[in-house]
Amino acid sequence: MAAAAALVAGLTAACGSSSGGGGASSGPVTLTIWHNYGTEQNATALANMAKAFHKLHPNITVNVVSQPATNYFAQLQAAAISKTGPDLAVMWTGLFTLQYKDFLVNLKGKVPAADLARVDPNALKWTSDGFNAANGPYVIPLENQFYIGFYNKAAFQRAGVTAVPTDWSQLFADCRKLRAAGFTPITYGNGGQPLGAEFYPWYDLSYMMIGSYSVSQWLGLYSGRIPWTSATNAAQLAQWSQMKRAGCTNSDVLTNTNNLGQFETGKAAMMIDGTWDTQKFTQALGSKVAAFVPPFSAAPINGVVDFAGDGLSEMTYAKHPAEATEFLKFMTTSQAASIINAAGLIPAIEGTTTSNPVNQEMLNFVSQNHMAVYPMLDNVVQPNVVSTGSKFLPSVLNGSISAKQALQNLQTTLTQLPASNRGSSY
Amino acid sequence: MSLTEAEPAGAVSGVPRRGNTRWRATGRSRLAARRRRAGILLSLPAVVMVVALLGVPVGQAVYYSMTTWNGISSTWIGPSTYSTALTDPIFWRVLENNGLLLLAIPFAIGIPLGIAALLNEHVRGWRFFRSVYFLPTAVSWVVIGMVATQFFALNGLMNKMLSAVGLASLRTDMLAGQRSALIALAITFVWSMLGTNTIIFLTGMATLDPTLLEAARVDGLNRRQIFFRVTLPLLKRFVQFSFVITVISAFSALFSLIFVMTSGGPGFGTTTLEFFIYQSAFSNGAFGTGALYGIILFVIMIVVGLVQLRLIRSEDGEGW
Repeated sequence: MAAAAALVAGLTAACGSSSGGGGASSGPVTLTIWHNYGTEQNATALANMAKAFHKLHPNITVNVVSQPATNYFAQLQAAAISKTGPDLAVMWTGLFTLQYKDFLVNLKGKVPAADLARVDPNALKWTSDGFNAANGPYVIPLENQFYIGFYNKAAFQRAGVTAVPTDWSQLFADCRKLRAAGFTPITYGNGGQPLGAEFYPWYDLSYMMIGSYSVSQWLGLYSGRIPWTSATNAAQLAQWSQMKRAGCTNSDVLTNTNNLGQFETGKAAMMIDGTWDTQKFTQALGSKVAAFVPPFSAAPINGVVDFAGDGLSEMTYAKHPAEATEFLKFMTTSQAASIINAAGLIPAIEGTTTSNPVNQEMLNFVSQNHMAVYPMLDNVVQPNVVSTGSKFLPSVLNGSISAKQALQNLQTTLTQLPASNRGSSY
Repeated sequence: MSLTEAEPAGAVSGVPRRGNTRWRATGRSRLAARRRRAGILLSLPAVVMVVALLGVPVGQAVYYSMTTWNGISSTWIGPSTYSTALTDPIFWRVLENNGLLLLAIPFAIGIPLGIAALLNEHVRGWRFFRSVYFLPTAVSWVVIGMVATQFFALNGLMNKMLSAVGLASLRTDMLAGQRSALIALAITFVWSMLGTNTIIFLTGMATLDPTLLEAARVDGLNRRQIFFRVTLPLLKRFVQFSFVITVISAFSALFSLIFVMTSGGPGFGTTTLEFFIYQSAFSNGAFGTGALYGIILFVIMIVVGLVQLRLIRSEDGEGW
């Protein structure tokens, strides 16, 4: 009798465990996850989450596969066509998500509402149709990211720069001081996020557009109501294009591959990058590194890019959908948030925070300085426009082409898109 | 019994008749028909394979080139996609890059020809130099691209060499300018073809009849005259072969060099048509547009192939 009761209890426990696993198999399963993080902190966070998940579900082994960043989405799309891709994959949010949603699972109803409720609602909305979280997300965000400036306090001090610049004129003045003190004021290169042979210009352009428009006005850049060739955009880009000539940058902005190293070793005083490199900088420079809002505006900027730029999506053709969903549910837990924080990132889970002081400075821009929160510009303008911008904008900073030419190319790309891709809503 | 089966009886009689001739003719035609049928049957698997592996994909590509296909779902647009593409200035810029890269071909053939001629003279250390010149062939295009990127960088070897010889004013970030990056790409392409073409020409020179060269020498021709009047004409087939593979490489093998060195930039400065296809299809997810440019490249390659055949056809009607 007791044995029977124990058996029933055991079966009940097993069933409970199984239902908690959302129908996940109890047999051995290998879950495959693709990412494009390279060696960034996100890669560490993902690998540690995979280990923690395996501890909770010993029958599920997580195979984390690093794919080349330069053609990551191409590979993912090709794999989706042949249905040979992973169960889960890193996906960028915003319009990137919507571009690839044909092979992404809408998680509404799959991941319980209670789990989704733990995720930062501002993060979830940018992964849903119409950028409305009620439509159901396609991505569970990994982290909240900032496009941000980093500066070396010791370099500023040595050059006699007493405060971070807040507009173009201050920036140019500080560049002169930093240059005179033997520093490269701002280093550019493709090391920050290796997405191509040249540096990624959308961090800078995001701040140029923050300096020009409100969040709601950014929709005009998507719809074409604000032409890329507008006088405001041209003026901003013209200022930006002066930076190299004014000695603000390294001379090889298009071909430098060691910008991270130059900042970490203290040779460069500033760098425009993102939270995925914060820990790298704090480890290399300790308390000397701090965050600042890139001052790409004629007047002080009152906005900051704070956006859950990436996360994991489940593929429609996943071989182990139940286990994949189980992993996504795990991503919404406080345990996952701790792992993300430990990797030096900012968790996108409600009620959690960051222990990295430089990340905290970024959060303070919003919570204490009341700066407006902006999405990443490249996630809310059409991918084709992003692609064209990535090709031409670096040459503007290099002085190889004019701001007007680059903006004209962006505008041409936009107008060549079907009308349905540049409507009055995303 | 059919007529053709009845005829042999007359033939056995040995009397030459018109009917006998007709039998021979009919027999031959029957044999030819059988051979034709057998030929068709035997080549059928190959034809099926070609149609399945080439014809169908080409047909599909033509269809998809007139759609907005994202790889999963497609919407029919029609032939207007071609007029849209052909009026796109970026497309013409890309074609211009292809055209400009063709200007590197004489160098990609001429320089190895010169090197092969020198090596063929068996100058001191020629075996060592032969290995050195062959090296690019043994190195992956990706590695060549990475080395070239470092070589042409602002703080790279080229600029350091310029500074070392007092020409620091000529220092330049070649990969940062649209035209200069294309030149850097062309130089790298020429270098990467060096080994293959040198070996082709060396092989050709080794097959030449030494008595002809000796006779030329006896007739009083100097080295230069011997090379241009005797060696070069005899190497015609090898030059033709080298020309063909170099042109094909210029159109279809530069992808990895561009991918590693410039990603097609700055702007579209080093984007060739094949790279443009990749970018359209895989970077922008517009597989329909990628298919369209693929068809255009296919047509261009047919035209280039025909022109090549025309150019390299020998006077005796035999081409390579």
